[in-house]
Amino acid sequence: METEVKEAQGKIISAENPDIVAPADWQPVIMGILCNWCSYAGSDLTGTSRIQYPPNIRIIRVPCSSRVDPWFIIKSLQTTADGVLISGCHPGDCHYISGNYFARRRFLVTKKLLNFVGYHENRVQFSWVSAAEGPKFAKVVAKVTEDIKKLGPLHRYKKENF
Amino acid sequence: MDHSKQIQDIASKLFAENKIDYFVGYRQNAIDDSQVPYLISDPAEIPRLVFTDRSVFNLANYLKPEHTRRKRVGLVVKGCDSRALNLMLTESQVKRENVYIIGICCEGVLNEKGEKAQNCIECVMPDAVVYDEMIGTPTGKREYIVNADIKELATIALEKRADYFEDIFSNCIRCNACRHSCPLCYCAKCCIDQETSTLYHGANTSSGAMHALMTWSLHLAGRCVDCRNCEKACPSHLPLHLLHKQNESVIYENFQQHLAGMEKDDRGAFYKYSLSDPDDFIL
Repeated sequence: METEVKEAQGKIISAENPDIVAPADWQPVIMGILCNWCSYAGSDLTGTSRIQYPPNIRIIRVPCSSRVDPWFIIKSLQTTADGVLISGCHPGDCHYISGNYFARRRFLVTKKLLNFVGYHENRVQFSWVSAAEGPKFAKVVAKVTEDIKKLGPLHRYKKENF
Repeated sequence: MDHSKQIQDIASKLFAENKIDYFVGYRQNAIDDSQVPYLISDPAEIPRLVFTDRSVFNLANYLKPEHTRRKRVGLVVKGCDSRALNLMLTESQVKRENVYIIGICCEGVLNEKGEKAQNCIECVMPDAVVYDEMIGTPTGKREYIVNADIKELATIALEKRADYFEDIFSNCIRCNACRHSCPLCYCAKCCIDQETSTLYHGANTSSGAMHALMTWSLHLAGRCVDCRNCEKACPSHLPLHLLHKQNESVIYENFQQHLAGMEKDDRGAFYKYSLSDPDDFIL
């Protein structure tokens, strides 16, 4: 992640810290945590259907969206990621019947708490993508990438060696 | 609020009837007018037990250690402490038959400055919810008030708030006193210690503290009873209640006005769900 001080030439200003400015061609890194049964299969469908989506997302597969502990999100934001996208099955479609309902509660509280301590609310986003929604997955990734490009590089609480 | 005499009477009765092995209460601190938790096994020490509006600590925490875990314990609980104890009972950390609970109808305790503590002003349940014996007259459940600090911080701009919290996190020394003082943090292995680089990153860096405190508060979300034992234990005097109250207010607002530990067999907001939970934030 290339960041420069404000005096230097730059166009993308970090939302959380205006002193951090990135060059105009800066590309964010987005951590994508996808559920095995819906969203991962959905992203696979996007690829096999040859639909283009931004390459900024780095995908991790988890068994269910309720497998995501809040500290996965925190740790992603502290290391390389500028944003996090978590995706799971639509309500009612969970492979484990009710996992995504539990996850939904956790996500709301996590999102609000991260916003409370000073992360922009668009840094962490959630989506429901089913295995048949290849085009939707491409749209979601494009939207999240666009949002995070606007927010600029994440600078706070970064760990230098991990 | 001075219940010292009643508590001494009950304690001596319990020891005389051989109902308990230990009794946990408060005693006067030797150097000032504050009080410290007092664990006794000898009836001769009963006259030192006190209970006034200086009895601030949550004694449910003393059911965690190994030496009280399998013993019969009598203890004094205020409203907030009893909610924590209720959760410990629900989560099978304490056996109900092993504890003799003296519930207090609390009138609020004082903070270090001698004023009524903030969590007592905003208290939702001053009476003990689980007890064998009740002292005082119950006043019932009160209306939930959103914490004043949370309301104030929510109006501040994002950058300013981020600076404020970075300052808080950078003052953390990662002593984990908050975790040890919390009655609901009883895991033998804690997930925030999983981080292999804790020793290197843990001490005095805002990122290590942010990771630990945020994860800790999110694992207590929906369970925290706002007893503020963590804040009293913190050597850096961090306002740890901000994280917990923020979670509590979000949960109260969105999840059927859930408050932790109020009812028997309620495991917390994250152990249940409703089909009508808000999902307007999900793409």
